[in-house]
Amino acid sequence: MSVAANQSQISQPQAGAAKQAPQSDALRAQIFQRLHPHAYLDRFLAEGVRPDGREPGEWRDVFVNVGSISTADGSALVRMGGTTIVCGVKAEIAEPELDSPDLGFIVPNIDLPAICSPKFKPGPPSEEAQVLSERLNEALISSNILPLSTLVISSGQAVWCLYIDATCINYDGNAFDAALLAMVAALGNTTLPQATFDPTTSGTMCSRAVRVPLSLNTSRMVVGLSFGCVGGSTPSLLADPTSFEEPLLTSTISVVVDGEGGVVSVERNALGDSDCGERELFPTPGTGTLDSCLPAAKDRSAILHKLLQ
Amino acid sequence: MAQGSFDRRRINGPEESFPPVFDAVEEHAKIWSARRDRGDADIRPIFLQPGLISQANGSAYIETARTKLACAVYGPRQSKSTTYSEKGRLNVEVKFAPFSCTRRRAPLRDAEDRSLSVAIHRSIVSSVCLELFPKSTIDVFITIIENDGIEGCIASGSIAASAALADAGIEMLGLVASCSAVVLGDETRLDPTEEEANASDGIVIVACMPALSSITNVWESGRLTANDALKCMEMCQDRCIDIHSVIAQSLSSNNKTA
Repeated sequence: MSVAANQSQISQPQAGAAKQAPQSDALRAQIFQRLHPHAYLDRFLAEGVRPDGREPGEWRDVFVNVGSISTADGSALVRMGGTTIVCGVKAEIAEPELDSPDLGFIVPNIDLPAICSPKFKPGPPSEEAQVLSERLNEALISSNILPLSTLVISSGQAVWCLYIDATCINYDGNAFDAALLAMVAALGNTTLPQATFDPTTSGTMCSRAVRVPLSLNTSRMVVGLSFGCVGGSTPSLLADPTSFEEPLLTSTISVVVDGEGGVVSVERNALGDSDCGERELFPTPGTGTLDSCLPAAKDRSAILHKLLQ
Repeated sequence: MAQGSFDRRRINGPEESFPPVFDAVEEHAKIWSARRDRGDADIRPIFLQPGLISQANGSAYIETARTKLACAVYGPRQSKSTTYSEKGRLNVEVKFAPFSCTRRRAPLRDAEDRSLSVAIHRSIVSSVCLELFPKSTIDVFITIIENDGIEGCIASGSIAASAALADAGIEMLGLVASCSAVVLGDETRLDPTEEEANASDGIVIVACMPALSSITNVWESGRLTANDALKCMEMCQDRCIDIHSVIAQSLSSNNKTA
């Protein structure tokens, strides 16, 4: 695309309606999207749709596949629209902490490698990945989906340590929901070898033949549901934002819901001064964005929980 | 596996943990003694799907039985280095997912990823017309999701990288196909599994451009006679012709649907 073409597009938002240029519409739309992402999104929302054709409150299709990786003790692949996350659980044996001899370990981490999006660089985990890992850890620990006491092999001597590693293969927004789904699905698929602790050798032996599934707290199976708020001329609440929408959001809301529809956590990150146009969207006092998020999240969580069964 | 040091950028587990030790090692019913599912000169079926990673300029996912990896190409984009270079730079980075191997791979970079990166880089670099991309870098990222022997990873990685480069529309002299072979006693077998490779006397990996009938990279290790090595190379080269048509077919069918 030439420099002249770019310049002709820069004046476009002020000029209003697009003037016919020699290029194809698709290319002009693409340039407009690159240069004026806010205006681009705004015009879609004014028509009540999002750039990918969804309605503001609509979620992307989700696909879950478990157990495809033979080198892991449990694994899951999740596709949420374009976002693809693979998660594998590896079990190792460790000594428990001195102050909690009857607790095992779970160690969830997510990696956003350079392969998944041009915005990530190779090297140590980015800030985004660090924050995501922390949030995932928080969701798994606070929900008590896997009681750590069930990971004990011998009290004070040996416990299981589950490394739950998720890797993003394709990043198209909302990695939190996809990663949490992948981690919970992988845990549901995990089996551990029958282990016996031998006090004379102080070693643990595992059986090759017998494998037992984890004793998961099925009523506490958590799923994440994220929303984003955009300001502009048509303030909207977008469910399951894509990687194009994410940088344009003024605030995000993540709800974690357990298997019985109970809310485990709500997290709202607001940036700037926008209140997501709450006054326009919800004119009745006492209602707001959160009030519309929670029921939407509960409805959606029922569908995700069905996928986990 | 002992973690080298506390990493404040990740969620840390206990200071030390060890992979489980299993009782009575299964009597190694000589898994490699005879192939039941395929002939010695047969390779495992290849599933190759270009264009799965929508954020990348080009990408490919390849699966050959238990070897699974994804490859994405970003670029050509501006080189970070300040020095002027007349030719483009091809940058290959391989990463193992922590759960991809029998033993968990702690996320710190070790030497194995590097050696794989170098091998795959050598396999594909001579096929890319780098002189057409001055001052730019082409990044090839590979994530290994499941590993069934390093040989398979290098061969599949080269195939996926070449398919992803083609998917990104980067000009090349030809598609690179790659195949590995092992010598087990007096037998020569193509596309070995990890068990076969561990039991073998020597390993040969060949990468070539069948369309130009030229070899781009040969990697040989172990103890092989010159005749054995040559025989392996010939067998690999023959099989690469079939692999080439698999790549070409997957690329063209992907183009039709896109």
